[in-house]
Amino acid sequence: MAIAQSSKARTPQRGPRSKGSGIGERALAKIFLTPSFTFMAVIALFPVIYAVWMSMYQITGFRQEFTGFGNYSQLLSDGGFYNAIRNTFVFTTVSVAFEFVIGLMFALIMNQAFRGQGITRAIILVPWVIPTAVAAQVWRYMFSDNPGFVNGLLGTSINWLNDPTWSMVGIITADVWKTAPFVALLLLAGLQTIPREYYEAAEVDGAGAWRRFWSITLPLLRPAIIVALLFRTVDALRMFDFAYVFAGYSNSLATLSVYTQRYLYAEPELGYANALSTATFIIVMIVGIFFIRLMGQQTVGSEKGKKK
Amino acid sequence: MNTATDPSTRKTSGAGQEPPRSSNTPYWLSNTLRLLGMVVVIVWCLFPFVWMFMTSLRSGAIALTNPNIFVGPFSLDNFIQIFELDFQFALRNSLVVAGLATLICIPVASLAAYAIARLPLKGRAVILTLALVATMFPPVALVPPLYQMYQQIQTWTGISLLNSYSGMVIPYVALTLPLSIFILVTFFSGIPRELEEQGKIDGATPWQIFLRIILPLAAPGVGTSAIIVFVYATNEFLLAFSFAPRDLNVQTVPVFIGTFQRVGYENPIGQVMAASVLVSVPLIIFALVLQRRITAGLTAGAVKG
Repeated sequence: MAIAQSSKARTPQRGPRSKGSGIGERALAKIFLTPSFTFMAVIALFPVIYAVWMSMYQITGFRQEFTGFGNYSQLLSDGGFYNAIRNTFVFTTVSVAFEFVIGLMFALIMNQAFRGQGITRAIILVPWVIPTAVAAQVWRYMFSDNPGFVNGLLGTSINWLNDPTWSMVGIITADVWKTAPFVALLLLAGLQTIPREYYEAAEVDGAGAWRRFWSITLPLLRPAIIVALLFRTVDALRMFDFAYVFAGYSNSLATLSVYTQRYLYAEPELGYANALSTATFIIVMIVGIFFIRLMGQQTVGSEKGKKK
Repeated sequence: MNTATDPSTRKTSGAGQEPPRSSNTPYWLSNTLRLLGMVVVIVWCLFPFVWMFMTSLRSGAIALTNPNIFVGPFSLDNFIQIFELDFQFALRNSLVVAGLATLICIPVASLAAYAIARLPLKGRAVILTLALVATMFPPVALVPPLYQMYQQIQTWTGISLLNSYSGMVIPYVALTLPLSIFILVTFFSGIPRELEEQGKIDGATPWQIFLRIILPLAAPGVGTSAIIVFVYATNEFLLAFSFAPRDLNVQTVPVFIGTFQRVGYENPIGQVMAASVLVSVPLIIFALVLQRRITAGLTAGAVKG
């Protein structure tokens, strides 16, 4: 209220560079940003710093004992940690690769369709909206060899849930099922921004379908592809639900998130859990920032351009 | 008419001009292929749901002995049993937690997004990049420190955030803020500037412009990001499982279903699927009804890029 009045009093233009704004708008901008920044600083940034601090302690119950980098040296010689890194990266690379290829195929199919596009666009949201933990249970039961739905379908007799390799195939399948449609949606939006004239012109020049795909579709889709890969990669790196529902804390599927969470209740060792969460945070952020730099000029540049 | 140079393309030039379509495929064949493609997409999206639905109706041991989902006996027993296990509490808890997270996140995010999109602000690009970086925040990085902070707060003040709604709602808001801000910025940027200029000429204060002119116009965008926050919060498993693992008074649906233990000797497949159906059906209806808004929100970043 106070701001509104003070700015009213100063309505006459005084800002040297902006057209009709005065101190009111500048102050308002800061005030509008404050709640978001405070929230994220207290609930996201502070805990991360607190975790670094707490990772220097050995914590048992309410007793805290300073160990310096003890937890980190334990971490560096912990086979379970390396195993979690390996699981996380195998899961991420394979599932994102499949999600991208299948998502792109779906996007192209939907973009071609002249009929039924509306209904498909709606149905494609079904995997996205079903909670991951629920999807994980459904897939776990479909893979289980007792009723053996997947085995029945494929005519195989694989013990999907107890074999480490096959259960990894299982959670990758489940994740690809759930998120390939989401990738398709992102890529479809990108496809629809490509002007049709480009294809017509290429056709006049005698470019075949394959050539048009490589020379027009893929390059012009690049921004959408990078955004989709960014979201999917980061999301896959922090995956918890599928791995936990399929295998609990078992090392066969434990990702970094599962392995960290394990030291909360299953084997309460909070200092070590904090060291693990810090390590996970650093790993995910490094990969994410790599992607953001990749899209650097593209997104941020065009955002800036849009707002003059 | 620009296809005149290549006679083989003339036939199909009217239908669709999109990317990889072989120019010399006959019209009926390309049509059939397109239809087939759509069928593949639809089957892909729906078959696990169909499996879940049919399995939830199969009673007794049949779901365990016969993988064919169309073989009965069928009954509603699993649904009755899941309510005997108090699944309705989990549904209520998820609704409350997701609702509260949305109600807090969206107004806070709207203010920030408006400031970023429209108000004079130094370092706008930096703030937007920071928001993007923040969307990548791994939730597990919050689990051990928040767990400890919650314990600490309890010893200091006696307020227990573990096994409480707030213990989940607070981090959900923090985790969904960056993406909501990002989506809302693209919506606010789309509102024509002339309307604000007009408001300024009429002597409205910046706050009045925001409240009376911008907010009503941004309502669809605000609704869109509200839906996305809500779906995120109903989906979240890791934090809910870490901060409210067992207490039925606060346990959310993903935790209930994701950690479902067998009761007695029977494999709980039917009950798990019944619970899954009960939570999936409303969410799917929600998604189908609001499809346009959701797609707009999910793709806001991609198209901008």
